[in-house]
Amino acid sequence: MSDYATIGVFLLLTMAFPIAAMAASWMFRPKPKSSEDKMLPYECGVDTKGKTWIRFRVSYFLYALVFLAFDVGVVFLFPWAAKFKFLGIYAFAAMLIFISLLLIGLWYAWKEGALEWY
Amino acid sequence: MNYALLSTEVLTAVIGLTVLVAGLILPQRGKKVVGILAMLMTMLVLVVASLHFTDYEVFFGGVYQVDAYGSFFKILFLSAGLLVMLMGGKYVERFEERSSEFYALTILATLGMIIMACAGDLITIYVGLELMTISFYILTAYVLNDEASAEAGLKYLILGAISSAVLLFGMSLVFAMTGTTIVRDIAAQFTVQPAMIAGIVLMIAGFAFKISAVPFHMWVPDIYQGAPTPVTAYLAVASKAAGFAALARVFMLAFPLDQFNWSLALAILAAITIVVGNLIALAQKDVKRLLAYSSIAQAGYILAGLAAANVYGLKGVLFYAMLYVFSNTGAFAVTTAVEVETGSTDITAFNGLAKRSPFIAAVMTICMLSLAGIPPLAGFVGKFYLFSGAIESGYLWLAFIGLIMSMVSVYYYLTVAKAMYIGPAESEEGMAIGGAARFALWACLAGTILFGVFPAPLSQMTQCAIGLFF
Repeated sequence: MSDYATIGVFLLLTMAFPIAAMAASWMFRPKPKSSEDKMLPYECGVDTKGKTWIRFRVSYFLYALVFLAFDVGVVFLFPWAAKFKFLGIYAFAAMLIFISLLLIGLWYAWKEGALEWY
Repeated sequence: MNYALLSTEVLTAVIGLTVLVAGLILPQRGKKVVGILAMLMTMLVLVVASLHFTDYEVFFGGVYQVDAYGSFFKILFLSAGLLVMLMGGKYVERFEERSSEFYALTILATLGMIIMACAGDLITIYVGLELMTISFYILTAYVLNDEASAEAGLKYLILGAISSAVLLFGMSLVFAMTGTTIVRDIAAQFTVQPAMIAGIVLMIAGFAFKISAVPFHMWVPDIYQGAPTPVTAYLAVASKAAGFAALARVFMLAFPLDQFNWSLALAILAAITIVVGNLIALAQKDVKRLLAYSSIAQAGYILAGLAAANVYGLKGVLFYAMLYVFSNTGAFAVTTAVEVETGSTDITAFNGLAKRSPFIAAVMTICMLSLAGIPPLAGFVGKFYLFSGAIESGYLWLAFIGLIMSMVSVYYYLTVAKAMYIGPAESEEGMAIGGAARFALWACLAGTILFGVFPAPLSQMTQCAIGLFF
């Protein structure tokens, strides 16, 4: 049961820490009157123009998705390439199958117009 | 390791990709071939899976298993997929240029289910589950210009993601306590601890969502109604069976009953599911929604067999899951045909169906009577196994609830029959359904009647399959 007590103490500490940090900064900071500038969502950078709840092109999403497939592919390719000689022909065949599966996905996305910007 | 034993899985993956590529290569007018190609190749894989029924091999130290239990479910999923593709032909024509992807996604969902049923490792189960559910998210939202379908797809995505997270959290707790994700090794490391119990409860919740047990059933009615009807049929029969396959394997093998009694939790879930599913179904006016609530109730019956956790109960689970494929797909095939013809699934759309097409009305009636558990149809034999299993394990009250609620269910199944036989017919002209759909209807009818009057072969198959647990 003492293992669970450790988790409980840890939970209490993690909850207490942000409260303490915010309380400390509230104690030490200057407290000027609030103004319109202070209430803006961002205190630095460029002020937003117009509404922030707008629709984004779906193309961004499709690009990201296609990119992600190959991004993850590279994660597998690097360790395989580093140990290529040791792993031999079996791993080479497995990798070929893996890449070809990804390529079919890319082919489909390309053909369906996921890579066109319009 | 003999990789040839994985031929079913490899072939399923290959045909899924072949169908996808065929849809890319073929010109628009050649795309009709894709559906036929998908059906023929699925039939071939079904034959391969049936020939490999008794194979046994453990891959990668228990991560993946080829055994009779997995093979039984492979046959189940492939038959369900084949029946759905056959009966959905006319409906799929509505998807026009996107119809070839429909077949590819259906086959990939089947692959996910096969992996779920054969996986001997929690993470592999999860990967199979995700392959299945992600394919279903897309299929559910397939009718792009229909608001109900898009809404159903989005709802399924959000709720499915939450339930997957719950399941995964439960798995991670079990892993934390035992140090392994391999189902057989978990049993050796099993100790009853608060975190372990929390893990088991979370896993029950995650799986209960997939099999739509009350109180995790809220998603079912809306999604079953919004999804294209063939997809609803596939969701109701195969996705549910996949959930049961993984649930039974994990709970029977990983969590020893004599150390922690999870069966009472499942029995209570089963009882609530049977009562709530049947009672709400009584008030439904839309046949698709009625079948959705009926499928919740059916999940409760199957769960009762799993709660029993003995030979009879588990035989019942497998037997019922198989006959459910034929009875429920038959009912959905008729609903699809009516929807294609009249554009509605309201119960008034079934009025006078017996005059328009006596065959279709007969299939619907027989399938629904089987679901209600009327002898000599298959549903009766299945329920007999399930409830005898429950009584043998001391859940007499559960068997009583099941019996009383089965009687209640006869009412709502018969309201559809009433509409078909004595409802006022608006037109008397016959209904044209395609040859493939007619074949699917005959297959469903044959399965429903044959398993009822001659249950021995299927019973022997289930006996062989559950040899894994005893």
